[in-house]
Amino acid sequence: MNIQEYISSGIIESYVLGLASSEEGVEFERACAAHPEVRAARDLFEKQMEDQLHMQRVAPPREIKSRIFSQIGMEQPPVKSEPGIPLNRPVLIQRSGFPRFVAAASLVLLLGSILLNLYLLSQYKHSIAQYKELLVSQEELTNASRSMDTKLESYEAAISLIKDPRMAIVKMPGVPTSPAPSSMATVYWNTNSKEVYLLVNQLPKAEPGKQYQLWAIVDGKPVDAGVFDLTEGPQLMKLKTIPIAQAFAITLEKQGGSETPTMTAMFVMGKVTG
Amino acid sequence: MQVFLNLTPSYSEHELIAALKDRDNEAFQYLYDHYSGSLYSIILQIVQDTTLANDVLQDVFVNVWRRIETYDPTKGRLFTWLLNISRNASIDLLRSKDYVNSRKNRELTDSVYGIDQVTQTGTDSIGLSKFLAKLRPDHRVLIELAYFKGYTHEEIAHIEDIPLGTVKTRIRTALLQLREYLK
Repeated sequence: MNIQEYISSGIIESYVLGLASSEEGVEFERACAAHPEVRAARDLFEKQMEDQLHMQRVAPPREIKSRIFSQIGMEQPPVKSEPGIPLNRPVLIQRSGFPRFVAAASLVLLLGSILLNLYLLSQYKHSIAQYKELLVSQEELTNASRSMDTKLESYEAAISLIKDPRMAIVKMPGVPTSPAPSSMATVYWNTNSKEVYLLVNQLPKAEPGKQYQLWAIVDGKPVDAGVFDLTEGPQLMKLKTIPIAQAFAITLEKQGGSETPTMTAMFVMGKVTG
Repeated sequence: MQVFLNLTPSYSEHELIAALKDRDNEAFQYLYDHYSGSLYSIILQIVQDTTLANDVLQDVFVNVWRRIETYDPTKGRLFTWLLNISRNASIDLLRSKDYVNSRKNRELTDSVYGIDQVTQTGTDSIGLSKFLAKLRPDHRVLIELAYFKGYTHEEIAHIEDIPLGTVKTRIRTALLQLREYLK
């Protein structure tokens, strides 16, 4: 066989393009193995054709690539069906698309978990701070509630005293000569137990070092009925028990009270009626 | 973290084949990026339909992924193997029942022009059209029937009503012209 004639017979192109018959193919493969120049001519034609078709390439739609890779990504590498060839790449299974996808997904999940933890930690710290604030304000409310209870109890006590039918009421209007003529106070005097309660309707604030003093007028003589300080809000103050009296009056005296009232500092006075 | 260090790799043919046999994803990406356009142009010329060509291209690459072990480097370059797989898959599609049925209605109206007219108009727009245009019409028809339609020399002799020896000679002559064209 003349090698040059064989090379230029068209067999190379027929074979490479898949147009040769099977007998021609077997013969050509034998020729390639035996004659390097045949093999070289085949290589050259293949390379030229590859380059030419590369120049004439048409880009397929983009989604085809992702379709292909998602399809092969779901597949494990196939086990070789050809007998006698050892499968010596067990490690490489890790490099296929699906485990890499799993690795990437795990990483994403890990990052997501870290971020979530950070978020939850900050939420936790925030919640702790809020909880402490709530504790404080709850304590304040409890205290306020307690003081309200105390006030309420004292009001209730005052009302139950006042509504007692045996309670005599002595109104003490301001006296015209008083430093504050519009002053007013009321004595609640239990005619049974003789206990005296005082309600200050209106009195000016006592000067420093001074205290108000209640007097019972018994047969024209003043009897000490106790000293008192002005309190916030209306309050019924229990003073000394007075067995008998025709009138009550309040004067401003030195701290602790006096033996006899200072008549120039008399604020209010009222007669016991009935 | 190979995923993030994605430097565009470059492979010699030998390295590429070894990496593909290792089921290396990057190598397969490279294979696709490098060869899909060439193969797609041939597939399009054979099946003459974008949707069908997309399906064939997908099947080809999935099969290449599965069957890379069957590639034998002593019989030709990797691209030659890919090209033949693509051509065979395209022709198989043309011969499949579904495709033949879907074409029947259209071919009824096309048949008056004869088979050479139909194939001629189909390949004009893309691919090897420049080369085919240079061939003598009686050679061009044979290349189209043999290469793009997948008919055997015997079938072509019957279709064209010319002796088998003449078919072989004309095809060989046309192929030699192809070689000249590629140089």
